[in-house]
Amino acid sequence: MDALKIEKISKRFGDFYAVKNFSLKIPEGTIYSLLGPNGAGKTTTIRMVMNIIIPDEGSIQVLTEKMDDKMKSRVGYLPEDRGLYPKMRVGELLLFFAELKGIRGQEARNRIDHWLERFDLANWKFKKVEELSRGMQQKIQFIATMIHQPDLIILDEPFSGLDPVNTKLLKDIMLEMKNQGRTIIFSTHRMEQVEMISDNICLINKAEMVLEGKLSDIKQQYGKNTVILDYDGDASFIRTLPEVEKIDDYGKFMEIKMKERSDPQDLLNKSVGKIRINKFEVREPTLNAIFIDKVGESNAQDNIGH
Amino acid sequence: MRKIISVIKREYIQIVRTKGFIIGTILGPVLMAAFIVVPILVQFVSVDKQEKIGVVDLSCEVFKELDKKLDQELKDGNRRYILQELKIKEDLGQLLEELNKKVLAKELAAYIYIPENISEGGIAEYVSEHVSDFDKQGNIGQALSSIIIEKRLRGEGLDPEKIGQYMRPVRLDTKKVTTRGVERDAGGTFMISFVLVLILYMTVIFYGQIILRGVIEEKSSRVVEIVLSSLKPFQLMAGKILGIAAVGFTQYAIWALFGIAATKYSGNVVSRFFPAAANFPIPTIPAYIFIYFIVFFILGYFLYGTMYAGIGSLVNNEKEAQHLVMPVTMFLVVPIMLMMFVIKSPDSSVSVILSLIPFFAPILMLLRISVLLPPFPQIAASIVLLILTTILMIWISAKIYRVGILMYGKRPGFAEIIKWMRYR
Repeated sequence: MDALKIEKISKRFGDFYAVKNFSLKIPEGTIYSLLGPNGAGKTTTIRMVMNIIIPDEGSIQVLTEKMDDKMKSRVGYLPEDRGLYPKMRVGELLLFFAELKGIRGQEARNRIDHWLERFDLANWKFKKVEELSRGMQQKIQFIATMIHQPDLIILDEPFSGLDPVNTKLLKDIMLEMKNQGRTIIFSTHRMEQVEMISDNICLINKAEMVLEGKLSDIKQQYGKNTVILDYDGDASFIRTLPEVEKIDDYGKFMEIKMKERSDPQDLLNKSVGKIRINKFEVREPTLNAIFIDKVGESNAQDNIGH
Repeated sequence: MRKIISVIKREYIQIVRTKGFIIGTILGPVLMAAFIVVPILVQFVSVDKQEKIGVVDLSCEVFKELDKKLDQELKDGNRRYILQELKIKEDLGQLLEELNKKVLAKELAAYIYIPENISEGGIAEYVSEHVSDFDKQGNIGQALSSIIIEKRLRGEGLDPEKIGQYMRPVRLDTKKVTTRGVERDAGGTFMISFVLVLILYMTVIFYGQIILRGVIEEKSSRVVEIVLSSLKPFQLMAGKILGIAAVGFTQYAIWALFGIAATKYSGNVVSRFFPAAANFPIPTIPAYIFIYFIVFFILGYFLYGTMYAGIGSLVNNEKEAQHLVMPVTMFLVVPIMLMMFVIKSPDSSVSVILSLIPFFAPILMLLRISVLLPPFPQIAASIVLLILTTILMIWISAKIYRVGILMYGKRPGFAEIIKWMRYR
């Protein structure tokens, strides 16, 4: 069963296509990442899924039904532009959000206490939202997203602005939700998180889908054409080697894309003695490299087209 | 519907709890009372000082009587006017010249010139630096008139005993005719209606601003999209407007209680301190004015409230909102400026047309109703037009709101707003 099925949706704002002929299927019980550069159409897509804006064409099915008010209480949504009512007390604010999702009374209060405990915010229940730090406010927003135990959870840039401790906490909760059979869709720029927890990914660029599928399949497609090099010293000579197609140098760490049918062993031999090698790994490209590759490629095509 | 109720509840509790609401609710009646009581107090507690007034009495028979008649007292029990008779030493012109100088030097507050032929229709003169103290001029004029008239009557050989009786002033009772008959009215009904219209005007603007600020807060705090993941933009807008309406009614209810208590007990309190004020009639307002007041408040509130909500969704902060709010507020200010005109000629065709214009109707039709109850078809027409316009405004505002509330950054131009309205 698909938790989300999008068929050929398009959305135009004036002459500008925010999303163009976009289709997607997200299987139930998986963690799915929506990737793409800024302005690619991720947020517009998510807003259409949430029925906040209406697509010009195409159809969307959420949990096998058409999205409507009733379905909204089975979906949890953390928008990218998120905030809270600054003057409200934490407890009553969460109660308000719970009520909007149809959870009322004692049941709602119990769940609020449970989650505040879980996020280490129990002492803040009677404080005003404006007294909380940004990170704490973000945790309140997560609680608001999950208070009604939704079957589908949509998180737009959930990790932005979180410190490492809370990033881990959120990641743990996301995995826990997945293990309970819930489906999680999230958008992000941070590829390392995607690589660690996503089952499937979809890459959007300029309103259109560029790449979609199981993360492991996508990586296999690219094959083991990449070398990860952890080094000390001056490695600028690698750029000029004939085996090398492209490098992404971080100063102490380098991701090298090899030319087709070239042997990584040659690269290793040529490097020995020139730099100090701490790690040399032949593997699939990182998602980061795939991302830059694909987005760059589609932008280049675009430029030719013009 | 339960979601809208949750929104209404939230709005209501959040606003009723603010200091602004509590202070405004208490201060409102206090200010209102001050508006009504202070002028009355000023009237009764005049803080004038004694004034020296010169009298040039060429008839030689008025001064004594005038001195007796002008016996108004100050609060401290002293005479308000000290009269000083001035005799001609050489010639009249020189004396008057001298007196003019004395007035300018503030030795005299004024002088009164009484010609020889005052009884035969000669004109008396009041000369002062300030000739706008109508109270004082009235006192003097009245005193002179009654002295001269008494004198003439005595000249006709009338019994001095009876003259006092004949001189009793006429009492004028103002009454108002309505379709339900004639009612006694000393101007109080009109005053209260005037106050009701002002209350309607102020509360519509006040609650409109609260709606505006609420929408902007939701937008600028970025909470709106989280809320919209649970309900439709229209539900949020409707809940907000209804919730704030509930706050308005709470405030009115509290004020009404104040008002009832005030009319019940204020008489005693006022008359204890200012016995003279006890005769001031406490006006009664017919119930239909209150009913129309509520009807026009509700309609005016929704008309302007939805407009304010629409504008709030277009802007990023309150400063930006001020430019857009201006024309809307003008729609409320214009009828206030037209009030005097409508009061003077409530059934002129211009007044009728003005009071039918939906944006003006809440204020001007209510005003006409309280001044001179217009024919019912006119009232009904203005209400129907107002309802239709309000529905249209709700439709337009909702279309703008659902897009605007999620748009950040540059404020959209008019063409862009029209485009938004066409979005699905």
